[in-house]
Amino acid sequence: MTKSKSSSKFSIVLRLIWRRGEGKFALIVLASWVVVSLVSLVWTPQSLWATDGYHVWAKPSVAHWLGTDGTGADVFSWLMAGARTNLFIAILAVVFAGALGILLMSAMVSRNSALSNVSVVAVDALISIPTVLIALILAVPMGASVAVVIIACGIGYGLNLARIARPQALLAANSDYVGSALSYGASGFSVMLHHILPNAMPTIMVQLSLSAGTAVLAESGLTYLGFGVPSGVPSWGHSLATSVKFINVYPLTVLWPGLIVTIVVVALNVFGDVLRDAIDPVTNPELRRS
Amino acid sequence: MRFVIRRFLLFVVALLAISVVIFAALRILPGDVASVMAGLNAPPERVAQLRSQMGLDRPLVVQYFSWLGGLLQGNFGTSLLTGRSISSTVAMRASVTFPLIVLGLIVALAIGLTLGVVSTLATRPAVRSAFHFIAIVGGAIPALWGGLLLILLFGRGTGLLDVLPSQGFPEAGWGNFGSALASLVLPALTVGIIDGASLMRYTRSALGDVMNSGYMDQAMACGYTRRQAALKVGLRLATPQLVSVVGLMSAGMITGVMVIENLFALPGIGAGLVTDLGNRDLIAVQSELFMLAAFFLFVGFLVDLLHRFLDPRLKHAVQGGVQ
Amino acid sequence: MRMPKWKGKFMIVEAKRLGISIAGKSIVSSVDLHIGDGERVGLIGSSGSGKSMISKAMLGLLPTNATAEGSVMLGDTQVIGADETVLASLRGRYVGAVFQNPASSLNPVLIVGKQVELPLKLHYDLDKADRQKRVIAMLEKVGLDEATANKYPSELSGGQQQRVGIATALITSPRLIIADEPTTALDSITQRQIVDLLVTLVDKAGASMLFITHDFSVLARATTRCYVLDDGQVIESGDTADLLDNPQNAQTKKLVGAARELTLQRKQDCDD
Repeated sequence: MTKSKSSSKFSIVLRLIWRRGEGKFALIVLASWVVVSLVSLVWTPQSLWATDGYHVWAKPSVAHWLGTDGTGADVFSWLMAGARTNLFIAILAVVFAGALGILLMSAMVSRNSALSNVSVVAVDALISIPTVLIALILAVPMGASVAVVIIACGIGYGLNLARIARPQALLAANSDYVGSALSYGASGFSVMLHHILPNAMPTIMVQLSLSAGTAVLAESGLTYLGFGVPSGVPSWGHSLATSVKFINVYPLTVLWPGLIVTIVVVALNVFGDVLRDAIDPVTNPELRRS
Repeated sequence: MRFVIRRFLLFVVALLAISVVIFAALRILPGDVASVMAGLNAPPERVAQLRSQMGLDRPLVVQYFSWLGGLLQGNFGTSLLTGRSISSTVAMRASVTFPLIVLGLIVALAIGLTLGVVSTLATRPAVRSAFHFIAIVGGAIPALWGGLLLILLFGRGTGLLDVLPSQGFPEAGWGNFGSALASLVLPALTVGIIDGASLMRYTRSALGDVMNSGYMDQAMACGYTRRQAALKVGLRLATPQLVSVVGLMSAGMITGVMVIENLFALPGIGAGLVTDLGNRDLIAVQSELFMLAAFFLFVGFLVDLLHRFLDPRLKHAVQGGVQ
Repeated sequence: MRMPKWKGKFMIVEAKRLGISIAGKSIVSSVDLHIGDGERVGLIGSSGSGKSMISKAMLGLLPTNATAEGSVMLGDTQVIGADETVLASLRGRYVGAVFQNPASSLNPVLIVGKQVELPLKLHYDLDKADRQKRVIAMLEKVGLDEATANKYPSELSGGQQQRVGIATALITSPRLIIADEPTTALDSITQRQIVDLLVTLVDKAGASMLFITHDFSVLARATTRCYVLDDGQVIESGDTADLLDNPQNAQTKKLVGAARELTLQRKQDCDD
């Protein structure tokens, strides 16, 4: 029963997002991202490894829709395959950040004052360490890898999430209904799950959707610096980085990966904004009815 | 004052914690630092020699404290590759990076604050959504790509307008002030425009919140027009929040700065760190990472102090809570 | 553009068919309101009845997504549709305002002295020492000592904060005070002190006042005549005492009845 309730709520939110112009744009872009990622697992117009030494830096043609790069590989196919790596990174980074953020947030509003003080202090101090520095520290023992991007983003955005969601959680934690639930003998864990988390959830979801966009941006930067996605693994950052070296000669090839990253990040940011409005029960009476 | 001391202690504790993390990250390497630095095909004697030269044969705790002790005395170690002291190398690199960050911040503040205020005060829906569009798209551009576009537009030799240098930094450094500054213009614009777009969003939301508050009604009731109230009272009230944002932003800028330094071939801290990491000059990497972390933690410390200073409500929160 | 200059002793307020809507939704419709020479007039209604929006319309402080129609004359100046600079030259000089919650309206980063001084600074060409003297005198009038001038609002109690709000509204001796639920955020003892202070000062200055509230006992204390607002429309008006003794409209009867029961209840609780 709870399941049908939550799924209907989900479809209402989707409908509310779809109703707005920007919402349509975001949903279409994000859905295409997922579809292209899945398709790229079984099919790309050209094989990723089919390099053609006679056709390097080819102009767009029927065979090579966006032309070829310096090794004669098909630019379009690499971008398609890059989609899945970036999707994978974004999803795992968000899951990691969400888990860490919720954990830290719970610690920060915990009734155990030692735990809450230590976690507030730790988050406040560590928040100013930028993601790229975390990635650098990780890259020393791990080398360039997808995991570096995911863990670095997860830690950085998790800290940020905890700090942003804390006021909401604190408000709920100090509320009368939590007080009365505790007086009836509810455990701290169940109060967190049933009262505090649902109150902080809208903020958390919006923040995570923005974080997904930042993760896509971070991938391109870290990969270019040489401690993100290792060479040979397709990703948008990889496509961008390989075209940089030849910018003087073939400026146009650099256009596509950057454009795709920008559009996807815009879609994720817009999605976050529209989501904020859509999950607000004050402005959307439909949500209260269900 | 108690707050300042407490916050400073927190800074010190965090600094120690981060030093342990950085130290540990270098020690959990497969093999050890010496064998990594000596390279794959190095003879065992060479590795052993390196190990004793760097004191890596001592217990970990001893190694950590001798490193930390050195840091406290301003001795950051010597690079094994160049033989130069790491602190002088870092100081040279910082003379590129910090001006770049400062210039980038100036651009970001000029763009972000101005457009943020203008878009908050705009009443026509079309104007508001146009600003919204600029903010969202500007903040979504990858730094690397933004830099490339600027090179393609303005870069000397490659650009359509062919006006500004896009590669390197003068040999003479700031001795050649004009060309040093010129070589930082495009990099600073890249970093600044992207962060300016996100600052614009923050300004709009911070100022927007204040604009809908009772403080604005009170200010206007005293005789300010809406615009005057926004500029004279609204901005001041949004300032503590914006200071926090700008502080975190200037720390986060290093991500873009590292990419941009590599792209524009600037010999700064970011590019240097990447080079050292590539060369496996791990002693240098260890100290450089620590210095960067210390800098960011210090920025965080300053921002918290400034925030507190700018908002008297926080100071009186404890006493005021009684009634 | 003609800036309002008001020489007369009183400022007569005349609202005709005032309507306000926010984002296309009507909040107030066809309200007529009159405040005469030195009169203290009440505007009472339950929350959501639109009374605050009426006061905001009079001050030209409606939110940007709100539209107003009809006419509101403050003296000989038409407020509805007026230019922002015209409105600003009225506010703080001829019209003062006291708001509901001083904790969220007094500027938290400004010391009290500067706060109270602001209307003088914006509208009059006085030197600093002169302004300072007037601020101290005004603070004294509202029962605050000189030291308060150097404190931040967050260092004061709720009642003291509202006294600062009143001082700011009255420092330029405006002809009209608009008080929008000035006592709602205060406890009941402080409420009475603040109402009495406001009434005394307004009468002494010979100004008129529009007093907005949802509390009938406060209304009786503060006003001589009143309008009852329900769902954006005036449903009854008249002498405050008469209206409370003998309400005509069914809705008013209900409101007054409920208020009386509550008061009796409270009295009983106190007596026990």
